[in-house]
Amino acid sequence: MTFSVKRFMAIFQKDLKDLYRNMYVSSTALMPIVFAVIYSRVGEVPLAMYLFVITLSLALVGTFLQCAIIAEEKEKNTLRGLMLSPATLTEILAGKSAVTIVITVIVTAVSMLIMGFSFAGSGWLIAGIVLSLIFFIALGTWMGLITRSVMEASVYILPVMFIFGMANMFIGLVDQFSFLQVLEYTPGIQLEEIAKLGDAGAGFDELWKPFAIIGAWVAAMLVLASVTFKKRMMD
Amino acid sequence: MQEVFGVENMIEVKSLEKIFGDKQALHDVSFQVKKGETFGFLGPSGSGKTTTIKILTGQMRQSAGTANVFGVPVSKLNTPEYRKRFGVVTDNSGLYARLTIYDNLKLYTDLYDVSLQRIDEALEAVNLGSEKKTQVSKLSKGMTQRVLLARTLLHNPELLFLDEPTSALDPANSKHIHNGLKELNRQGTTIFLTTHDMEEADHLCSQVAFLNKGVVQLLDEPKQLKKQYREEIIGIELKDGRELELPLKASSAEEIQQYISREMVERIYTKEPTLGDIFVEVTGRELV
Ligand SMILES: Nc1ncnc2c1ncn2[C@@H]1O[C@H](COP(=O)(O)OP(=O)(O)OP(=O)(O)O)[C@@H](O)[C@H]1O
Ligand SMILES: [Mg+2]
Repeated sequence: MTFSVKRFMAIFQKDLKDLYRNMYVSSTALMPIVFAVIYSRVGEVPLAMYLFVITLSLALVGTFLQCAIIAEEKEKNTLRGLMLSPATLTEILAGKSAVTIVITVIVTAVSMLIMGFSFAGSGWLIAGIVLSLIFFIALGTWMGLITRSVMEASVYILPVMFIFGMANMFIGLVDQFSFLQVLEYTPGIQLEEIAKLGDAGAGFDELWKPFAIIGAWVAAMLVLASVTFKKRMMD
Repeated sequence: MQEVFGVENMIEVKSLEKIFGDKQALHDVSFQVKKGETFGFLGPSGSGKTTTIKILTGQMRQSAGTANVFGVPVSKLNTPEYRKRFGVVTDNSGLYARLTIYDNLKLYTDLYDVSLQRIDEALEAVNLGSEKKTQVSKLSKGMTQRVLLARTLLHNPELLFLDEPTSALDPANSKHIHNGLKELNRQGTTIFLTTHDMEEADHLCSQVAFLNKGVVQLLDEPKQLKKQYREEIIGIELKDGRELELPLKASSAEEIQQYISREMVERIYTKEPTLGDIFVEVTGRELV
């Protein structure tokens, strides 16, 4: 199996340029920044709100963007051309993931800047975000492989948004709706846990648990995505 | 590369079958395409032309039979090395609508690792040299089809698969593409072309295969076919408007000479069937 950096970069540049002109998808990806602006006006922002915006950008940018740009290639019959070229599906998906990672990092960083959140001394949180990003991108890739159009992707993203993207907000309602307890295991809530423990100066003896939970999501999603990927390669 | 009768075969297909669920699209397809040939794959809508191209380019697996391209089974074609050797335009290939023609082609020069200069050359070949900066969403269907063709020319493929390359083009642009394809073929590119335009096939192809309901019913050079199916008749159009048909035999010589010596003849012709006529005769179906 060869991996060509040149072909990977070609896909990366094309997708970045294309995304720049894609109002529908790029405006969706800017949502977290809108939330950040709103919250920055509120004044005293609790930690949970920062984590809400971080998780929202992971789900909305990491997952939706990845899913939409893969689905659109199928919808517009452009994936066929790429697959008939020397580019491999691995190079194609890597190029797209790189675009998604860059945009997610920028949107998250800008949102936090607007809200006045500093990542200084938050090494654990950053590590947790990076790990979660792998999960959200693998989720987006898997969804991109199973959806056929951007419209379909926009529908499929809704449950992902509610479960993974907004868990940090809905968890506040857990006293009224006890079934919401399951949300405690989402990467977003685990990130909040990491932030809290990190702030309290906890060591890895306490921090391993949220990392392990996020790691389990990553592993499960990677397996699911690569099984679907292999099936795709066949036909 | 496999050699048959001293000539390299670019494509070898034997007893190819394709079944979709309970529907058999290809029943028994066999043919060979020699290096340097322009091969016309003719058939009405739904006869299995696109299905054959998809199998030959590795986009679809056959249900039975063998299909070799460049002397290797099509299942082994999906390596970058083989993909650099062929090009495909199918009826549902797409371009990036938000990007310019140039950006669309630039992506492919990178993927195929060829110089940017090829963009201008390929666009010139399809008569779009001046439209480089145009956004693809603003192009007509025919222009889109020409950009797709230019895209597959970028890497100078040895073997070109074209699925109805001129179906959306006006006569002037069809002619331009035809000339371009002839030139490519002259330079050594092997072309596998599907069409239901019999004139196009006649004009471009050195071999044609008639596909009907998933079976190749006839395979030969257009010239041979026309000879073989020529009616042995001489037609005479007289100045007074009468039209006569005489058998192409010695017995007709005297009668014809009479007309000529009396200066009654407007036109004398042999009755050449078109490929379309032959198709109808062989398959009992119109080519639409
Ligand atoms: N993916 C598919 N699933 C099911 N049936 C299919 C599929 N692709 C093609 N077919 C069927 O196979 C037959 C041959 O189709 P194909 O597209 O190869 O025809 P064609 O000769 O290219 O026609 P046209 O001139 O209209 O493009 C048709 O009856 C079609 O309905
Ligand atoms: Mg077709």
